[in-house]
Amino acid sequence: MTAVPGISLRNVCKTYRSRGSEVVALEDINLDCPPGSFTALIGPSGCGKSTAMRIALGLEDHDSGEVRIAGQAPATATASGITGVAFQDAALLPWRSVARNIALPLEVLDRDPSRYSHEITKLIELVGLKGYENALPGQLSGGMRQRVSIARSLITSPEVLFMDEPFGALDQIRRRQMNVELQRIWQETGSTALLVTHGIDEAVFLADQVVVMHANPGRVIEVIASPFARPRRDDLYSTPEFHALTDRIAGVLHGQ
Amino acid sequence: MANRRRFRHSPVLRNLLILLMVWEVAGQLKLVAGGALPPLSDIAIRFWQDRADYPGHVAATVWSSTLGFLIGNVLAIGAGVLFVLFPKVQRLARGVNIAVFALPAIAIAPILVLTLEGNAPRIVLAALGVYFVTMSATVVGLSQYDTRAADVIRAYGGGNWKVMRLVRLRGAVPDILGGLRIAAPNAVLGAILAEFGGGGRWGLGTYLLGSLGRGEPARLWGIGLMATLIAGLSYAVFALISARVLGSTRSVTLNTALPPDGADADAPLGLRVSLAVGAAVLPFVLWWAFIRLTGVPEMIARTPWGVVDYLFLADSSAVARAKLGAALLETLPITALGMVAGLGFAFLLAIASRMMPGFIRAFMPVALVTQTMPLVALTPLLVLMLGRGLSVTLWITISVTFFPAFVLLVQGIQRVPQSVLDLPRAYGASAWKELRMVSVPAALPYLFAATRLTVPRALLGVMIAEWLATGTGLGNLLNQSRGYLDYGMIWTVASVSVCLSVAFYYAVLAVERRTLTRLGMQVVE
Repeated sequence: MTAVPGISLRNVCKTYRSRGSEVVALEDINLDCPPGSFTALIGPSGCGKSTAMRIALGLEDHDSGEVRIAGQAPATATASGITGVAFQDAALLPWRSVARNIALPLEVLDRDPSRYSHEITKLIELVGLKGYENALPGQLSGGMRQRVSIARSLITSPEVLFMDEPFGALDQIRRRQMNVELQRIWQETGSTALLVTHGIDEAVFLADQVVVMHANPGRVIEVIASPFARPRRDDLYSTPEFHALTDRIAGVLHGQ
Repeated sequence: MANRRRFRHSPVLRNLLILLMVWEVAGQLKLVAGGALPPLSDIAIRFWQDRADYPGHVAATVWSSTLGFLIGNVLAIGAGVLFVLFPKVQRLARGVNIAVFALPAIAIAPILVLTLEGNAPRIVLAALGVYFVTMSATVVGLSQYDTRAADVIRAYGGGNWKVMRLVRLRGAVPDILGGLRIAAPNAVLGAILAEFGGGGRWGLGTYLLGSLGRGEPARLWGIGLMATLIAGLSYAVFALISARVLGSTRSVTLNTALPPDGADADAPLGLRVSLAVGAAVLPFVLWWAFIRLTGVPEMIARTPWGVVDYLFLADSSAVARAKLGAALLETLPITALGMVAGLGFAFLLAIASRMMPGFIRAFMPVALVTQTMPLVALTPLLVLMLGRGLSVTLWITISVTFFPAFVLLVQGIQRVPQSVLDLPRAYGASAWKELRMVSVPAALPYLFAATRLTVPRALLGVMIAEWLATGTGLGNLLNQSRGYLDYGMIWTVASVSVCLSVAFYYAVLAVERRTLTRLGMQVVE
């Protein structure tokens, strides 16, 4: 393999075995996210999209195949701080202020958070939480907590950004606002992004390529480009081209 | 919501005032047992007259219980962390943990007094009183952490230790504080019990013992209330810390169940069996080691084998067995009867209170105060009022089982989601039908848990009553044996009562698991 940034999964397989029964979570998954691109992974519950991401993050082992993050093995890549991650739940530590939650990855990576105070301030501004530096997560709304979680995922200036349904807990309106913001943030950082989502319109709105997966066994069915010009704005949702593409993806998703 | 309920003090205050007024009137008119319940004003006057005595005794008790509290909690938190990191160690220590939980403090107080010197018995008994509570709270707190937050740590290459340091330890603090809150009155109770059972010059237990024969109800009440006040304050301090510092709204009683077992269901049979055997043997090994390490003469300190010898092999073993058997026959039926009555009463009242939430709000604080009242201070007062007959034993057993069971049951029933309650009503079910279909089954797991958890308290209550009041059963046998210097019998009573307590705990647990599994319910942990 040549050392290229981005994410690549080659023939990745994963089977869960428990008490005699076997579930094939991932069957021969191939995924290529070119540097600086935005990829959305979409599929029904249980299709293994989150598992694929967890494998790419080194949170789970795979049975066979090869995973490369910026040309490195997942564990090496994550431990060197070139990745960022945001989960469905904001997963903030309730006893840490917004600023200290954002600094958490630095502590895990044994870096000195005080050297990053400028970055932390900038990120808090970027996600629109200026003035909330010292607030505790319990004092924030769900949307604000998710924005903290996004800021946290960016603190290491990651080359590769992983997001597992980061706005899954938000309502449709909030979600669309956050998508616009996420696009802006991603464009400013220039990182490679992989988004796991249930929402077709979210995937089409954000991604350069939409990877559609099916369940039982989890596998990639089709990779569909989303060619709309950036920056994409709210009114994209109501264009006929947007609807045509979401309809097409829905068709693939439902096996038509 | 829980917060708002907790801080609505006014009805509680009002009820307290009413209670105090009724007390004063009843005392003045000598309504209870011919003046055994003195009016509050008499107690206050007596307290003022005795004011020179209190500081020394209070200081001694507070000192011993504080030391025991510190030592016991350091051990407990350390053990909790160890158990979480190494589930096999927890498995191995299970027998010791249950024995510590189940041992009736009064039974081992004489043993500690025999084998240790000076203040040590008080400190050890106080430490034993806090160990299990804090250990369980630590294990529960460390086990229930936010796995998503742990994923974030791991996603940046963090290992188990970083997860422990950044997520789990801090996350367990509310649970640990909750444990400390329950443990604090236990430490006071332990210290007073040891003072009571073991001479010395200072301490509230000593003071109580010295005042027992003097027929001065007002002084006994003064000491009892002082002991309750210290225990209650120790509870309040930690309640305040957890409420203020953490804003925690956790339940007021402890999660006394055993911490969840490590996932060892997949372990090979051989390992599981050897761990189980090790767990059963370890308490006896520790007992043996304790005696060897303290270096107390064989004559006084009995090893496990020494007890077997005393009870089954020695020349006088037949006499010993007869005495023990007779004592057990007196103690066990009354314990069982008291427990059944206490638990049944708690169950009925808890179910009924579902329909009267106002009653709960007024009654819960009273129930909580009784939880912190040191039993050994309560017993002489009940003796004053109820005499020395069987009824006093019965009442003590009922009261020590009723309150914890009631608190546990109410909390259990309150956990039933409103929607589940609404469902039968939406189909027009009567209150009675709703009760039968939802509330009673929902309370069942908590009734089992309450039974399991109150066994040691019930046995402790009965033995204290027997020792102090009725002169029957195991408690009396223990007291007599101290007088006769019958060391073998002291060790025998202590070990038999601990074993009984553990055996009963397991018996209830077995029935509980089977019943709840059949009903598709979870054992309350």
